[in-house]
Amino acid sequence: MFITGMGVISAIGSGVHETLVSLRNNVSGIGSIEIVDTLLRSKLIAGEIKVTNNKLVELTCVKKNAYYTRTSLLGIAALQEAMQMSKLNPSLQKTGFINATTVGGMSDMEKCYFDLVDPTTKSNENGLADCLDCADCTEKIADHFNIKDWIATISTACSSSANAILYGARLIKSGQLDVAVCGGTDALTRFTLNGFNSLKNIDPSPCMPFDGNRNGLNLGEAAAYVILESEEQLQRSGNTPISELSGYCNFNEAFHPTAPSPNGEGALQAMQTAIQMAGLSPNEVSYINAHGTATLNNDLSEGIALKRLFGENVPLFSSTKPFTGHTLAAAGAVEAVFSSLSLREQIMYANLNFQSPEPELGLYPVTSLQTDKPVTNVLSNSFGFGGNNASLLFSKYV
Amino acid sequence: MDLAETTPVFYLVNMFNPVYITSARATCAQDTFSNNDLPENIKVFEQNVLKYHEPDYKQYFTIMQLRRMTRIIKIGLVTAIEALKDAKLEQPQAIVTGSAKGSMTDTEKFLHDIVNFNEGTLNPTAFIQSTYNALNGLIALHHNANGYNSTYVHRGFSLENSLMDAIMLFKENRIENALIGCFEEMTAEHYELKKKMGYWKNEAIKNVDLLSSSTEGTIAGEGTFFFTLNEGPENAIAKLSGLRMLYNAGEALVKTTFNNFLAEHNLAPDDVDAVFLSYNGNSQTRHFEDAISQQFSPTTNQLVFKHLCGEFDTAAGFALWAAIKALQHQIIHPSLILKKGTSSTLKNVVIYNQYNGKEHSFYLLERI
Repeated sequence: MFITGMGVISAIGSGVHETLVSLRNNVSGIGSIEIVDTLLRSKLIAGEIKVTNNKLVELTCVKKNAYYTRTSLLGIAALQEAMQMSKLNPSLQKTGFINATTVGGMSDMEKCYFDLVDPTTKSNENGLADCLDCADCTEKIADHFNIKDWIATISTACSSSANAILYGARLIKSGQLDVAVCGGTDALTRFTLNGFNSLKNIDPSPCMPFDGNRNGLNLGEAAAYVILESEEQLQRSGNTPISELSGYCNFNEAFHPTAPSPNGEGALQAMQTAIQMAGLSPNEVSYINAHGTATLNNDLSEGIALKRLFGENVPLFSSTKPFTGHTLAAAGAVEAVFSSLSLREQIMYANLNFQSPEPELGLYPVTSLQTDKPVTNVLSNSFGFGGNNASLLFSKYV
Repeated sequence: MDLAETTPVFYLVNMFNPVYITSARATCAQDTFSNNDLPENIKVFEQNVLKYHEPDYKQYFTIMQLRRMTRIIKIGLVTAIEALKDAKLEQPQAIVTGSAKGSMTDTEKFLHDIVNFNEGTLNPTAFIQSTYNALNGLIALHHNANGYNSTYVHRGFSLENSLMDAIMLFKENRIENALIGCFEEMTAEHYELKKKMGYWKNEAIKNVDLLSSSTEGTIAGEGTFFFTLNEGPENAIAKLSGLRMLYNAGEALVKTTFNNFLAEHNLAPDDVDAVFLSYNGNSQTRHFEDAISQQFSPTTNQLVFKHLCGEFDTAAGFALWAAIKALQHQIIHPSLILKKGTSSTLKNVVIYNQYNGKEHSFYLLERI
């Protein structure tokens, strides 16, 4: 399965070019919260995209007679780039859209929710009342690009878009589709900021993945998509792949509703199976784009899984969450784009803010941009609530 | 230029080896849970919201456990537990569910908490339970079921994508059995949101009179349905041989796709012994069901179900459950019959469901 197009918008840039400049120069997108209307802005920081909805409406040229939530607008902005890159017309082959989101149109609904549910008001601007669920953004985005052969939305918390990518790949393999457009979109919301704040796992300072003194995550917002084509379809499209999706695995560890298992079983199974599927041995993995949220639980559990799988030879790894924040349903797709860029540019990203290793593990992530080592296989992890773990393996196209 | 020349219509040939259904469970407005069948007397609702007939949870959980669980989690867990019990399956190898709305109760509670407590110290329970995959995770936890686990949240395609995912897992030789389900609840606030979108009838109507209504809109419902699937035919009660989704299509394409769907399975309309149609009393969308209904001769039994469970994104789950029950017992419950057909045995049963005129799905089920 080959990736022939990609698009991304996050706190470190609109589009692949801007994103790459930030990644190369260690420029984080985490900062003060200016767009989301929340009291938590006085206490917390986040990876907010500093583009207003009005500006996004202009950039995406959406229809004026329907309501496009920020989630939809970010999705369209990201997918626009991916579609241009792969130069595909969705109606010329079997094309599906597999989207992912955790809170759908909450970004816009939460601003006027109480007015909307009040029977005495008539407020329902352009059909906003129908935008709370996860499918609204998927359909708005699919309709914008005229994709209709297969439509799905996945919500498995923080592993959502990794699951969207592997579902799309499987739909192609089973012959249902020629092209799968896969990824996710999640706008920053007061709802999720308060949700994670109530779980007490937000660090009010820039997050420090895999650090002994880490203190929680920073949230972010993003949308990212990849275009998957089969080998057969490549001959029709003439596209040159950016990378190959060579392995994937979804594994639920059934341990706890929100916490990962202390022995990293789910993470281990997901990584191991993805590597096996690609026909590789663990020592052939060049770089791991870790889930690395910087929560106490995740980074310990993921680190233990790394040691269990790779022993003393843990490959170079880093978490890019300090760049973008944790973008929830979009994270898997954002990091699929980062992984593909890592392969294309032959670079590995810095794990920003790292000072000292977790005492239990003694593991050191990459702390500066790596440009002088070959990158052939990149493993990307996405682990979520509910025990949902997913790993994707991307390989250099040869 | 003729549009047909520039935009070829692709045949999505969703052919797959049949998968075997080993159990089916339903919890909805009717008491379908107690005896895993439709009751003799159908419950009549005077209002436009058909609420769950809730199971007795105390048989399954302690008071302490129940206190921590939200409504849809309790219903979902209990329905899934019974489906697994019926199939004598302790640890399903995959758990895939569909829910368009997840726990609305918790989403709303957390929205209220944020305002009521001024974004202060909030209880995270509502936030955790509002996540769409919360039920899936809890079922896995309850049954210690490691393995493939996913949740589809796409309105009228939620259950269908869950089934397709499992069907592919069988084809990939990844699993031998799976638990598939869908769940939905309705709340007062969500009813209001949908009301503003024109989903519901303005006048109160009895559910049993729904299908003779000539006005716009429908009535709301709730439902949770779980099914166990097996790769082989052992202990099967029915088999799923075909499934097709069609997005945002007009009546003509719905009709063509339906006929192609039958043809791909070498069926003529007369080979279909019963067809479930998603009539929901909405004058604006009934032309879709009419178009499918007209494909059939007096041979085929034409069945309806949304007057029993109400309308919701994953109401197709009710039809799937009822179709499986009909095939298993070779009896059609009288409350389902729209037009009685001459076909007296049930071999092939087809479901046509559309949700809000946008998501159309077709199922083919066969007797074992």
